[in-house]
Amino acid sequence: MTPTTVRLKNRRLAALLAFLVPGLGHAYQGRYGKAILYFVCIYFLFFVGLSLGDGKILYWRWVNPLADVEHFCGWYLFQFFAGIAALPALIQATLQHFGLGPILWGYGAEPSSDLINGLYPRLGKLVEVGFIYTEAAGLLNILAIFDAYEGPAQRVEAVPTAADDAKAETSS
Amino acid sequence: MNLTSIHVYWYVIPLVVAISLVYAASRHESWRTIASQALRLCGMIFTVLLATTAILLVINLQL
Repeated sequence: MTPTTVRLKNRRLAALLAFLVPGLGHAYQGRYGKAILYFVCIYFLFFVGLSLGDGKILYWRWVNPLADVEHFCGWYLFQFFAGIAALPALIQATLQHFGLGPILWGYGAEPSSDLINGLYPRLGKLVEVGFIYTEAAGLLNILAIFDAYEGPAQRVEAVPTAADDAKAETSS
Repeated sequence: MNLTSIHVYWYVIPLVVAISLVYAASRHESWRTIASQALRLCGMIFTVLLATTAILLVINLQL
């Protein structure tokens, strides 16, 4: 058994990059394989989920959750951690709060209530699947951020050393 | 392809695979360990899901 050595460079910067784009922090640390794995898995879930919800399930409203629970977008708290793909929702909500129009072709902007109400009759349970996918993507990116900041949770890997190989040969 | 025609249960497969891979990658650094851990976790999640489904199905058939 050998302890795994991972060079984490500037851990805070790596964690920030990992938050912004899944895998970017790992690419900065030179862990390219993991970077690709995180990027593909997390963004696959996020964008497939988003498309299952017809692109209308990513938005945020600036409301007081204690005063208006019904309109509070609790699911966005999970989606948020998908990073730069989810951040436009915050910008769009802020613009809407100040009475300004959406930017970025409306990506992440709150759809009209007619559109939201029409999603379930049209797409059925796919909307729920879309929510689950996008929320899972955000939650999984928290693990990726933690990995970029702290390194792998299990530091001692069962990687056979030359001594282990020699021991195995003599025993056989 | 019409996505609404796919049964909603099939969507659990990519979700479980992605969760297993990311979880395993966050715990290990060696690719061999990541692959074996992810495979094991994937199998475990599917076993639990199938067992739960079977139990609920049996209970439902009794009603």
